[in-house]
Amino acid sequence: MNPYWGQNFFGFFVVLFQRLTGQLPLSQMASDEVQLLVLMGVALATVLLGTFLTLKKMTMMANSLSHTTLLGIVIAYLIFFAPETDLSINTTILFVSALISALLTTLLTELVRDLLKLQEDAAIGLVFTTLFALGIILVTVFTRNSHIGVEVITGNVDALHVEDIRLAWGAAILNLVLIGLFFRQWVMTAFDEKLSFSLGIPTKTFHYLLMFLTALTLIAAFRAVGVLLVLSFLVGPTLIARQWAHRLRPLLLVGIGIGIITAIFGVALSRHFLSVYHMPLSTGGLVVTLISALYLVSSLLTFRPSKGLMKD
Amino acid sequence: MTFLDFFTDPILRPSTVGCMLMCFASALVGVVVFLRKRSLIGETLSHASFPGVVIGVFLSALLIPFSDELIALAILCGAFLFAFLGLKALNFLENRLRVKADSALCFVLASFFGLGILIASRLQQSYPLWYKQALTFLYGQAATMTNMHVIIYGCFGLVILGFILYFYRYLEAVNFDPSFSETLGIRSKRLDEMMFFLIVLAIVVGIRSVGVVLMAGMLIGPAVAARPLTNQLPYHFALSGLFGVVSGFLGNYLSVVIPKGEYSLPTGPMILMVSSSFCFLSLLLAPRSGLVNRYVRMRRFSFQCAVENALKSLWKEERRSFSPLIRWQLKRKKWIDQSRHLTPLGKAAAENIIRLHRLWEVYLVDYMGQKVEKVHRTAEELEHLMSPELERELTELLHNPRHDPHHQPIPPAHVEST
Repeated sequence: MNPYWGQNFFGFFVVLFQRLTGQLPLSQMASDEVQLLVLMGVALATVLLGTFLTLKKMTMMANSLSHTTLLGIVIAYLIFFAPETDLSINTTILFVSALISALLTTLLTELVRDLLKLQEDAAIGLVFTTLFALGIILVTVFTRNSHIGVEVITGNVDALHVEDIRLAWGAAILNLVLIGLFFRQWVMTAFDEKLSFSLGIPTKTFHYLLMFLTALTLIAAFRAVGVLLVLSFLVGPTLIARQWAHRLRPLLLVGIGIGIITAIFGVALSRHFLSVYHMPLSTGGLVVTLISALYLVSSLLTFRPSKGLMKD
Repeated sequence: MTFLDFFTDPILRPSTVGCMLMCFASALVGVVVFLRKRSLIGETLSHASFPGVVIGVFLSALLIPFSDELIALAILCGAFLFAFLGLKALNFLENRLRVKADSALCFVLASFFGLGILIASRLQQSYPLWYKQALTFLYGQAATMTNMHVIIYGCFGLVILGFILYFYRYLEAVNFDPSFSETLGIRSKRLDEMMFFLIVLAIVVGIRSVGVVLMAGMLIGPAVAARPLTNQLPYHFALSGLFGVVSGFLGNYLSVVIPKGEYSLPTGPMILMVSSSFCFLSLLLAPRSGLVNRYVRMRRFSFQCAVENALKSLWKEERRSFSPLIRWQLKRKKWIDQSRHLTPLGKAAAENIIRLHRLWEVYLVDYMGQKVEKVHRTAEELEHLMSPELERELTELLHNPRHDPHHQPIPPAHVEST
């Protein structure tokens, strides 16, 4: 029996508080708590990467990855010849498919841009749409079923397992460790790639590592929350944080804070809508909308029309 | 099944013709977006239209549940409205809030799409049938098109074509030199707005058949495939339109023919794969700027340099051995004979190269003010790229010098030696 049943927005927090102060065995977690933990893990993992992606103006590459992970997963499954049971549970397949999709996307985009001399925006668009179309076709050919993967996009928060908590937090901890270990290098490459290259930082390696981590986080999270929510987490909190914080560390902290708070509020609101209005809403969609609304409010609060050099 | 069946069969015809029209429209608009370097805007706006699709489905499910045509129209209107809102949001983020272009694109995409999913999830339980209908727009569903859709898309396609023909002069001016066209009195802002209006229109038409997720590719593909083949805007439009129509048809054709009736391949991704194949083929094989040709030109030039350097060393009587390929080329040009000695023809050619080399050295020292000891290396490269006209002018400019800066004699000019 779910203790959150019938609770509204505030009741949710009351029950959560009671549950936290009492004992909370992992096996008896309510579905709301699983959601909460997964979303918090995803928020932590993605905002960390998102800050650097935004600073490096690479968010559209993250968008590319969000499409091409499909092909990565398909290829990984073909390599391991795994029965198509539950996607993304197996950690090896997870790593391999992230590696394949990150490498394919980055290398192909660079190849088309530099060798085939296509302008960057078109190169990005051409590569990811082609790889995604290929992914869909392969899935259709191997499963003989053309109605695939709406859940890839929207996620299915209702079908979460305790396993998903492990995946989301695994990705979060991996990102945290890798970014924490090389923090100075990450910061330098994000702000001045040429300078950091001249100082001996392997900027290319960091570029690929960032793409790999993004792909990994996408794959670890998509079954739970959908690739879309990950994209929103990647850009939204950082954009909001940039309006308030002007140094990197505060930027990261504020961004992560916003990500986690919207995750908690999203789950609570989802419960609220279900209990009070009997409306089952997608928690992922709610969190995305919350982030957008928060950005709107934050922009209104910080917007200074006469701040520019020229006044109309 | 033959090609013709796709135009006569009452089941196949609407989807084939519909896809071709839709691809034609997006290919034309794609050229404008491509030249503006804003190809990714299609990705964002097609995702932004999704909440409109869902609301369109939702409202028509409540109000007019019988008429398929009206529902199609309601979906189009909803998609149009939200894509347009997405465009406004994008402009506001970039221009007013000073958000970087990539972040703005990504954020608008995620926000609008998230809203669409939120609304769709509301539909899921109460109207499962309509929820399914809304979701078909994610990956597109060409197979269920009817003649009504074809007529609607045909009209939209005509609007786009008409606009491009009517405003062609302005489009040309604004695309190539915005500030110059301002001085001509063309209000590029206004024109920009109208062009983006067209983009929104093309996307709204396209999502029905290739789906929200792949729409960006349909805008980019044909325009990219056409670009290496021409340098002129009218041909770029025409070729892009052609590629669009052909990929629309072939995508449909292949999605039916390849699986041999056991199952069906999704049409949208097949269309996209065809148009991407055109892109890669064109980028690889285009006559002037294709990769293969660029590579061949490069290799040919470096081979020519190697042959000429070999000739020079023979003339200077350095004892060097050459690769068989170079020896073969020297023989083919009749520059050396069987016993590997220079022929008179070879001697003339060699002297010509030496002359070019030393002329360049004089020029670099006298006119460019370079140090005498440094000019050899530059001249070593320049000697291979000279036309007879340039040589004549250089000779005149330098008053036909006899010696180079290293006090070595410059061989006199020969009568044209090939």
